[in-house]
Amino acid sequence: MVSPYALFAMSEKFASYAFPDALVSTGWLADNLDTPGIRIVESNEDVLLYDTGHIPGAVHIDWRRDLNDQLVRDYIDPAGFADLCRRYGITPETTVIFYGDKSNWWSCYALWVFHLFGHTNCKILDGGRAKWSAEARPLTREVPKLEPVSYPEPPARLDAEIRAFYDDTLAHMKAGLPMVDVRSPGEFSGEVTHMPEYPQEGVLRGGHIPGAQSMPWSKAANPDATFRSADELRGLYAETLGLKKDDDIIAYCRIGERSSHTWFVLKYLLGYEKVRNYDGSWTEWGNRVRSPIERS
Amino acid sequence: MYPPPLQELIDLFSALPETERREMLINMAETAPLHAPAEGETFDLEDVRKDEECTDTVGVFLSAAADGTVSYKISLGPQVQTLTRAMTSILCQGLNGSSPSDLLEVPADFVPKIVGAELVRLRSQTVYYVLTRMKSAAKVYLNRLRTAAQE
Repeated sequence: MVSPYALFAMSEKFASYAFPDALVSTGWLADNLDTPGIRIVESNEDVLLYDTGHIPGAVHIDWRRDLNDQLVRDYIDPAGFADLCRRYGITPETTVIFYGDKSNWWSCYALWVFHLFGHTNCKILDGGRAKWSAEARPLTREVPKLEPVSYPEPPARLDAEIRAFYDDTLAHMKAGLPMVDVRSPGEFSGEVTHMPEYPQEGVLRGGHIPGAQSMPWSKAANPDATFRSADELRGLYAETLGLKKDDDIIAYCRIGERSSHTWFVLKYLLGYEKVRNYDGSWTEWGNRVRSPIERS
Repeated sequence: MYPPPLQELIDLFSALPETERREMLINMAETAPLHAPAEGETFDLEDVRKDEECTDTVGVFLSAAADGTVSYKISLGPQVQTLTRAMTSILCQGLNGSSPSDLLEVPADFVPKIVGAELVRLRSQTVYYVLTRMKSAAKVYLNRLRTAAQE
């Protein structure tokens, strides 16, 4: 099998990122739909969007049904992850390419969950579904028929490496370590405590974690859903927020999906070494008794 | 409890196997543009809202007939979810021609009967959103009528 990345023509934009092969372009993917060793995964907020048409060969991983525990607010366990991969034709050697709607919110979330189980051979389609569609590239309603594959159960879920819990975040706050609040300005200030369209995500208290800096996730994305250039991203995070390469950083939002996008940007596009996603985020912090809160 | 046209749609969807239900929902979503306001069309009440962070624009346009019944046109931004588009078509077909007071009494419990419990998940709660907006418009319209009657 020829490595598809031997044929990878790296664009100038991608070459300037810390990990240039963390992204693939729509053009590259279009030329490599049938390349062995790749599994294309669509993950969306729109639960029916995959059914309306998807990139040929793509499978649908629904973050609610496939990545979350169905009872407790948590992610699937290692056995569940291995079963997921077997069902979707993913082996430990598979290069998984994620894409989706909303500027790749949920594809970054899914990629982050794969990293939780040590499957780091993952990439994001720059521009996601929006760019693919805008370029009038082919979509199909045909669901791929997959042969069962084997995937060994990971020994553990790697929470300590890239995931922050409430207690971790509280300690982080008390130590004055950097935190990035990626929500909208209205959510950060406390003016907004719920979105009418998301009735399950309201909070009893608005504001932000004391010491957190605001950098809405959307500033890292272009209008066409691609990621901003490395220079533009450095302007946001290194210059405006003053983040340094060896900083210990926690990112959060409301339920952890927008902060997954920022986690990907910080870690793979800018090369920050230690970045964790506080997936409990504001729906946990803003509802918890005696959580410290700041408003501005 | 439900207006007859809506009851017909509930009966139709409830009887469908899951695969066909999804296909029918997608078909309904694709017909949502038929229920959008036409250029230059006027209405008795307009309510257009956009949330920059999470959702796209949804506009609700209410027209009142001489017999007091109401009908709706709905405009949807390009990023509105498929289920919401489907529900827009279903609600316009199912509720247009109702009286505002009857419309306000329609319970939301029919939504899982149409959509199926499998699809009503976190972040697909927008499937209830259009009904909420239509009811909100009906309520505002009734309040205006009452205020006008008192003056």
